[in-house]
Amino acid sequence: MASKGFRSFLDDLDAAGELRRLTKPVDCRQLSALGEQADEATMFENIEGYPGWRVATALVSTRKRLAVAMGCPEKRIAFEFESRSAKPINPVTVETAPCQEVVMEGDAVDLTAIPLPLMHLFDGGPYISGTFAVSIDEDHGPNVGCYRLMYRTPRETGIDLVSPSDMRFYYQRALDKGKPLPIAIAVGVHPLDMLAASYKAPIDTSELALAGGLRGEPLEMVKCKTLDLEVPAGAELVLEGELLPIGWTADEGPFGEFSQISGDVKWNPIFRVNCITHRKDPIFYMLQMPWENDWLAAPVTEAAGLQALRVASVQPVDIRAPVGSCGYWSLIASIKKRPGEGKNAVAALLSVAEVKYVIVTDDDIDIHDPDELDWAIAFRVQADQDAIILKGARAKHIDPSVKSWLLGKGGLPTTAKLGIDATIPEGVPKILYRRIKNYGRDSIKLEDFE
Amino acid sequence: MSPLATNLKASLEAEAKQFHDVVDDNMEVSWPEFLRAWGELREIDILKRDDEGAYYIEKK
Repeated sequence: MASKGFRSFLDDLDAAGELRRLTKPVDCRQLSALGEQADEATMFENIEGYPGWRVATALVSTRKRLAVAMGCPEKRIAFEFESRSAKPINPVTVETAPCQEVVMEGDAVDLTAIPLPLMHLFDGGPYISGTFAVSIDEDHGPNVGCYRLMYRTPRETGIDLVSPSDMRFYYQRALDKGKPLPIAIAVGVHPLDMLAASYKAPIDTSELALAGGLRGEPLEMVKCKTLDLEVPAGAELVLEGELLPIGWTADEGPFGEFSQISGDVKWNPIFRVNCITHRKDPIFYMLQMPWENDWLAAPVTEAAGLQALRVASVQPVDIRAPVGSCGYWSLIASIKKRPGEGKNAVAALLSVAEVKYVIVTDDDIDIHDPDELDWAIAFRVQADQDAIILKGARAKHIDPSVKSWLLGKGGLPTTAKLGIDATIPEGVPKILYRRIKNYGRDSIKLEDFE
Repeated sequence: MSPLATNLKASLEAEAKQFHDVVDDNMEVSWPEFLRAWGELREIDILKRDDEGAYYIEKK
C-alpha cells in the first residue's frame, strides 16, 4: 500500500470531486483571492515566474474535505482522532527522500525562488502559512508544531512565536544560553500530519508518533542536509535553518489570523534559512486562512474535549468545536448525565487549551442544530446557577478582548472563560421537558394524500 | 542598492504605506524581482512600522 502523503491526498480529493485544477498562468499576488473563491480545493498548475512549481490550496477548508483526509464520516472525525491518537506509531527513518531531490545551500539559498503568495490585504508581507515545523531540545527531544513564516529577505523570514508553545519553550531555553535554535520547516505534508503537528500534546509526547497513529502507518522521516533533525521524507519543500538568538525583537505581521481577524504587528524572532530542499516538480502548499486552519483546529479541540470529559468520568455522546469560533475557542458537548455531571463537564471542557466558551447539554439535544441549542439554553438554564465564569485563565494574543497590546514584547495574556450547563437541572421532573409531537406522526404519511 | 529598492526606499520615506500599497504601486514588476528589492530594504534594517502596521523609513 502506498504511504499517505501530500500527493496521495490530492488524488483522494480528485476522486471525491473536491479538487479544481487551474491551468491558466497565475501571479503569486492572485493565488489567495482565486483560492478563496473556488468551491473546491484548488491546484494552480502554472505560476508566473516560477516554472516547474505548482501551488495547492484550500485542501481542508471544509469539514467534508477533512473527512476525506481522515477517511471517515464527518460526524466521526473527533472520535476517530481520539481513538487513533491512542495508538501512536513511531516514525521510521529512510535514507533517501523526494523532498531532497533538489538541494540549495549557503549562498544558493533564495526564498524568492519559491512562489510565496501575498495572501491578505493587510498582511505585512508574503507568507508561508502551512508548515510542519520541527525543533529539538537536548532534554525534551524533537517537537513538531505549525508556525507561519513572513518573508523578510532571500535568507530570512519572521516566525510567529508569540503564543505559548513547545517551540517557544525550546527557543527560550536556547536564548537563555545565547544560542540559536536549529529548526526545519516542511511544507506540503498530509493533513493528518498537520493535525498531529497542531495537537497540543504534553511536551514529552511525540507528535511524530501521533501522526503515525492518525495515519495507521509510520511517518517516514529523513535526516536534514545541514541539521541533526529529521523531516517528513514525502514533503514538497523543506527549509533548514535556525532561530536567531535575538528574542522577540523583529516586526512580524499582521497576518490574516485563524480568528478571522487581520491581526496586528507582533515582535518575534527571525528564522535564518541555511538550506532549501525540495522535489524536482514541487507543489507549494498555501494553507488558506482562516477556514483551513479552523477545520484543522476543530478535531484537535474536540478530541482534547473528549479526553477532558473522560478524565472527569463524564460520558460524552457528541462534541463539536464550532467553526464560528474558529474550531478553537468554544466547545459544545452532549453527555449522558448523572447528577452533578453537567457542572463537571463544563469545568472539564473549560480546562481545554484556550477554550473560553462552553455549552453542555443532555444527549436528547442535537448539538449540531443551533435551534436545539437555543431551546436547551432557554429552558434548562438559570444564569445564577448554571453559568460558570473562570477568571485569569491562559489566553491567545489574537483575541482582541484580552488587550494583549498592553503586555509589552513577549508578554502573555489571560482571559475569563464562560461555561453554561444546559442540562436538565437536578430536581426538575423530566416530564416537564416532554416535546410536542404531532398525533399520528409515525403512521400518517403526507404522500398518501397527494 | 538596486534601482527598484531605491524607488521603494524613496516611496516609504515620503509616506507610510501598508505592504499591499507598496505592492499595488509596483504591479508591473515581476514578483521575484519585487521580493528581492524588498529584501534589500530589510537587509539594511531601515524599515519601521507605525501603529497600523504600515511601513515607513525615517528620512535622514
